[in-house]
Amino acid sequence: MKFIIQRDQLIASVQNVMKAISSRTVIPILTGIKIEARQDGITLTGSDSDISIESYIPAEENGTVNVEYIEEGSIVLQAKYFPDIVRKLPEKTIEIHADENLKVTIRSGKAEFNLNGQDATEYPQLPKLQTDDSFELPIDLLKSLIKQTVFAVSTMETRPILTGVNVKLENQTLTFTATDSHRLASRTIPVADTTNEFSNVVVPGKSLNELNKILDDTEDKVEISVTSNQILFRTKHLNFLSRLLDGNYPETSRLIPDQSKTVLHVKTKELLSTIDRASLLAKEERNNVVRLTTQGDQLVEIASNHPEVGNVTEEVTVSSIEGEELKISFSSKYMMDALKAIEFEDVNIEFTGALRPFIIHPANEDSILQLIVPVRTY
Amino acid sequence: MTNQATKRRVIFHIDMNCFYASVEMAYNPKLKGRPVAIAGNPEERRGIVVTSSYEARAKGVKTTMNLWKAKKLCPELIVLRPNFERYRTASREIFKMLSEITPFVQPVSIDEGYMDVTESKGMGTPLDIAANLQKRIARELDLPCSIGIAPNKFLAKMASDMKKPMGITVLRKREMPSMLWPLPIEEMYGVGGKTATKLKGIGIETIGDLARGNVYELKQILGINGERLKNRANGVDQRPVDPDAVYEFKSIGNSKTLPQDTTDETEIRALMHYLAENVARRLKRKQAVGRSIQVMIRYHDRKTITRSKKLRNYIESKEDILIIANELLQKHWNLEPIRLLGITVQDVEEKQNIAQQLDLFSYEKVAGKEKLYKTINELSEKYGKNPFISWNTTNTDNQSPSTSFQKDFLDDFKR
Repeated sequence: MKFIIQRDQLIASVQNVMKAISSRTVIPILTGIKIEARQDGITLTGSDSDISIESYIPAEENGTVNVEYIEEGSIVLQAKYFPDIVRKLPEKTIEIHADENLKVTIRSGKAEFNLNGQDATEYPQLPKLQTDDSFELPIDLLKSLIKQTVFAVSTMETRPILTGVNVKLENQTLTFTATDSHRLASRTIPVADTTNEFSNVVVPGKSLNELNKILDDTEDKVEISVTSNQILFRTKHLNFLSRLLDGNYPETSRLIPDQSKTVLHVKTKELLSTIDRASLLAKEERNNVVRLTTQGDQLVEIASNHPEVGNVTEEVTVSSIEGEELKISFSSKYMMDALKAIEFEDVNIEFTGALRPFIIHPANEDSILQLIVPVRTY
Repeated sequence: MTNQATKRRVIFHIDMNCFYASVEMAYNPKLKGRPVAIAGNPEERRGIVVTSSYEARAKGVKTTMNLWKAKKLCPELIVLRPNFERYRTASREIFKMLSEITPFVQPVSIDEGYMDVTESKGMGTPLDIAANLQKRIARELDLPCSIGIAPNKFLAKMASDMKKPMGITVLRKREMPSMLWPLPIEEMYGVGGKTATKLKGIGIETIGDLARGNVYELKQILGINGERLKNRANGVDQRPVDPDAVYEFKSIGNSKTLPQDTTDETEIRALMHYLAENVARRLKRKQAVGRSIQVMIRYHDRKTITRSKKLRNYIESKEDILIIANELLQKHWNLEPIRLLGITVQDVEEKQNIAQQLDLFSYEKVAGKEKLYKTINELSEKYGKNPFISWNTTNTDNQSPSTSFQKDFLDDFKR
């Protein structure tokens, strides 16, 4: 195997596949990066067996030559060393050459590294997914689906299924739902041109976080294919394959209250910064609880009290309050996460009592829903 | 505060003599004068002597001694299983008597405590107070105790140890050279086996040697504790008798030695279950929850590791504790034979001091009582602190013996 490649292209690809590589893996060869050269281009692969990423560098694209002098072949290189080497090589181009004894030479300018490679035939084959029932989304939309939900997944392994995001496609509507059982985030978008349907697909939160980091914010399409235990996200030069979580995702729709007793209309940013201030005293994050009390029909009070530190109160003027009076306590962190995720100027907050979940919507927009379960103070 | 530090204080240390054995004798006077031992599980390795009467001790029976060995030394030994409920009741009565003398009572364990009687002059001289207290405990509860009287906690503790049973010992600072300093270093309170070895390594054999020790050298081998011990040996101990010390529990743990060193997963899993259950029960007793789990593994070669994990939410149930503890065990166990396991919940808070994050899948249970809570809150605002105390929480756990029991009784004192 041999080729000469543009360093910047290689760095970007290496960074992408590194997102999947873990130093702690049960299959030793997965600590390496697989490099495969074909006449049309170079493919890098990284995997921790939960997530696998293939990044493709075409030999030529839009008239620019990325890779030259290609002799086909493949090799696996230690991910512990290879990325740093590539990053620090002196020249704009890099020559990589692997001989039949798996000795690899990396040359750039006057620098030359000789590394021991591993046999690429020992690298696990990535499953080829059926792409018949796939559907497409703009990448930026996928990224916002992820950003608006993934933060709410559970970080506790006590209920492993909740560490993932439930992805559902029904009636040409795609829904992402995540909950750690204390708050829930969900986002719905219409997907035309597909008759595909699935409901119990749960993608590990970690996978989506990595995917979100790799994908650039563009309007290019990403193609999504789902099988019973894997999901594939495919863009022009990237294949991102993730294992799905086993188990049944709890039915969450019935947990979302459909009526309310108190409704607030409020400016997202104002409420967010008030809660941010109220939470300042709760630095050691002891649930960092704040209390919201309605006062008349134009004012809510946000307060927080910490026996050893002190207390804080602040009034926020709201556009309107409808319904019953309310005094409710909740985690300031959950509230801030939710308000940040909404990305709309005005929100409605619908309460159904001090000990029941409340929901936050952008005003006049039902596709984004944030739910928070309150805190009971003794 | 400064007042308390500079003024000459009069501190008592009350130490119940052979507490468990004495309580058994008080319940069953026929046992009096006979060698009695309280032991854990007689069938297993951990069937060890928890405590024994003086008669048994005279034959060489010692605390933590194997039961079979104790029986060999003293064939007529009467072995009893512990009745924790009895000990708890007796302890409660004792501390009640102490509190009648002064509010400054600090229980240290089920059978010992400190009192600050500086302000109790109206009740007679310190010696009178001590004698009356000792007589009263003997008369009303039929239990012997020793009392140390000194200007601070350390000296009081050392003094109570000097005459047993039913001793009253006064240890003034001027008496230290004759009473305290000649004692071998390992008899000093706060000096354990390891510390004693280290001290002997630099030629400190007696408490007096320590009192004259070189601070720099002591700090070299014992760190900050070296200076503290030297001060104690010189009769300097400013610690106040703090009745609130009882309230502070930052961690709740339980550990247990296996019948034999093992790598058998079934056995290990069973022990983890047992430990998690114990810890959960004790959390419940204290109406507390915790947010960090620590697992201790002691291997066959006594090498011991502790590993912990901090959580985002407070937990209290056996199931939750067990999941995290097992996770830690799986991650850190090097698969060598295990001798002892321990689970500790750290970062413990009383429930009343924290807020309970409700759960999406179970909030209905709490929300169903919303009206009730609202009423309680309104009444609390009107009458101060929650006038209702839930009923279902007092439970008598009279189960298997554990070292932790000795500290848990403190909750009783608190109520």
